Amino acid sequence: MTPNVKRPRRKLVARPVTFSPFARSAAHLASAYMIKRQMIENKLHESCQHTPNGKCCGQRNIDETDSDSDEESSEGVVQADFAFFDPKPDDFHGVKTLVQTFLDNEEWNLSGFVDLILEQTTVGTVVKLEDEDDDGLFSVVTALNLGRYKASDIYMQLALELDHKCMKELEEYILSVCHESNLVEQLRLLFSKRARDVGLLVSQRVVNLPPQLLPPLYDALFDEVSWAVEDEPTEELRNSFRFKTYLIVTKIYKHKKANGKLEKKADNEEEPVIYVKAEDELFHELSSWSFSFPLKIQHVTSSEASIYLLIFNNILCPRTLPSFSFFTLIFLFGTLRANTKAPVTVPSAVSYNVNLLVSAEELRINGVGYGSRSRQNPHIPTAVALSDRR
Amino acid sequence: MATRLQFENNCEVGVFSKLTNAYCLVAIGGSESFYSIFETELADVIPVVKTSIGGTRIIGRLCAGNKNGLLVPHTTTDQELQHLRNSLPDSVVVQRIEERLSALGNCIACNDHVALAHTDLDRETEELIADVLGVEVFRQTIAGNILVGSYCALTNRGGLVHPHTSIEDLDELSTLLQVPLVAGTVNRGSEVIAAGMTVNDWTAFCGSDTTATELSVIESVFKLREAQPSAIVDKMRKSLIDSYV
Repeated sequence: MTPNVKRPRRKLVARPVTFSPFARSAAHLASAYMIKRQMIENKLHESCQHTPNGKCCGQRNIDETDSDSDEESSEGVVQADFAFFDPKPDDFHGVKTLVQTFLDNEEWNLSGFVDLILEQTTVGTVVKLEDEDDDGLFSVVTALNLGRYKASDIYMQLALELDHKCMKELEEYILSVCHESNLVEQLRLLFSKRARDVGLLVSQRVVNLPPQLLPPLYDALFDEVSWAVEDEPTEELRNSFRFKTYLIVTKIYKHKKANGKLEKKADNEEEPVIYVKAEDELFHELSSWSFSFPLKIQHVTSSEASIYLLIFNNILCPRTLPSFSFFTLIFLFGTLRANTKAPVTVPSAVSYNVNLLVSAEELRINGVGYGSRSRQNPHIPTAVALSDRR
Repeated sequence: MATRLQFENNCEVGVFSKLTNAYCLVAIGGSESFYSIFETELADVIPVVKTSIGGTRIIGRLCAGNKNGLLVPHTTTDQELQHLRNSLPDSVVVQRIEERLSALGNCIACNDHVALAHTDLDRETEELIADVLGVEVFRQTIAGNILVGSYCALTNRGGLVHPHTSIEDLDELSTLLQVPLVAGTVNRGSEVIAAGMTVNDWTAFCGSDTTATELSVIESVFKLREAQPSAIVDKMRKSLIDSYV
C-alpha cells in the first residue's frame, strides 16, 4: 500500500456518527483540514501561454520535483490546476467576497467597485480552477486608473454620481485615515490633478494560495498594462494605462511594541512587521512613501499571528507569543522606468524575490536568472544582498 | 414595499434579521443605519427588537417564528431568552428547543398557517413547531435541498423558492402551502433566498445587490404592491367598471 493511495472515505460531512459537540468540532476540523490540503499540496507544471493580443488565459504551473512537506498527510498530494482568466461579470460574487475587507469595515459602495473591476477585461486577472465550472475564485488582481472615474464636467459628474461614488468614497476614506499632514497633501494631489497617472493596484487572494502562482500573476498584470498601452482601441484608454504611480492598499501585522524595544528582546528573531502577502514586503521597500494606520476589525488573535510568524520567517517556535495588531499599510511606489516604453521593471524584482521567499521556505535557492536581471536595473537589490538579509 | 439595505457591507440581510407579522428581530453590532431602516419601515406597527442568539449575530438563521411564536435553539443563553420574552408581545410564545439541528432558521420555513421542515428533524421538534407556532408541518425538500428554511421565503400571501425548483415541485409545494410560489433569486443571482431577504405580509427587506428585476418579482409574488395606485388598474377594474360601451 503506497502512501499516496486515497482512502475510500472521502466525504466527511454526509453522516456524522455522533452528535455531541466534540464530534461535531472534530468533524469540522477534519473537513477543513482536507480542503486546506487540497490548496497547499499540489503539483504544478510549467507552461506559459500568452495569446497574441495579450490576454493571458492559460495554464500557469511551476515544476515541483519534491513535495517534502507531505509527511503528515496520509492522503497524498492532491493535484490542483489553477488557471488565469479575464474578469467576467459572472465573477461578481467571488470577487466581492475577496474585496470585502478592502477598506476595513467601512460601509461603502463595494458592489460598484467590484463592477468596475469586472468591467475592465483588458487589464486584470482572476484565478480559478482550470476545468471546473464552479465560480470558486481564489485571487483577483487588477489595476484601476483613478482618473478615469472622475467627471470632467458637470453633466458627467451627475451621470457618474451614481456609478462611481465608490471611487470617491475610497479616496475620502484614504484621506481620512492618513494622519501625516505632508502625505495628505500629496494624496490630495494624486487624487485630483495627477489622478490620470495613478493606478490603484488591487490584489486580493485566499491566504493559502500557493506562492508559486504569484510571479506569473504579477507578470501577467504588468504585461497586460503594457499591452493595453498599445492595443486599446481609443487614445484615451491607451493613455489611461500609462501609469506613473501605483497605489496599493494592503494589510500587515505590526508588532505592538515595535518602537525600538525589539533590540532588548531575548528572542530577536521577531520582526516588527509581518506582511500578509509576501510581495508587499518588496513593494514596501520599493515604494516612494507609505503610511500605516490601525484597523478597526480585529482579524486574528495573537496565537494565529504567531502562526504567521512561523510561515514567513521560518523559525520554529517563539518563546513568547508576540502581540500583533492588524494594520493597514497604504503605500505608493513610483514606477521604475529603465526607459520610457516599459512601464515597470518591478515584476522582475517581484518574480525572483518571491521565488527566493518561496524557495527559502523549501530550503532551496533557485539561482536561475538572478544575475542577468539585476544587471538590467541597478535599483533592484542583488541576490547576494538578499540572501545575506535572510 | 421592498427595501434594499445591507448589514456592514454584507447583502445577506436575512441572516442578520428575522421579520414576521408580529415582531422583527435585528442583530446587534451592525451600524445604526441598519436598525433605523427597520424602525422607519415598521415604526409603531410592530416592535423591532435588537438581540443576539448564543452570542452570535446570525439570528435570522438560528431562529424560526411567526406571529404566534418564536423557536430558538438550545444555544440561546438564559439572558437572551429572557430579553426576548420581555421585548416581544405577550401573544408571542418564545420557546427554546433541544434539537441537534440548531440552525432552526435553515431547517424551518413557516408562515402563520403552515410550515416546511427539514426531513431529519426530531419528532418532538415537529410537535413543538405545530404547538408553539400553530401551524401544520410538512417535511419537504426544495429542489433537492433539505435545508428548506434557507431556500424558501414564505409569507401568508406568497413564497419565493430556489431557482432550480422544477414545475412539478412548485405545483406540489403550492398545493401544500396554499399560496402562490415562484422560483427566483435574490442578491444578483444568489440561490439562498431566505439568507438574502426577509419578508412579511406587507413589507420586504432585500440585500442591496438585488437587481430591479428580482425586486419586482419579489414585490409581485408577495403582493407587496397592494396599496399602490396600480391596484385600481389591475384588480379593482372589474368591480369599478360596469360595462364597456
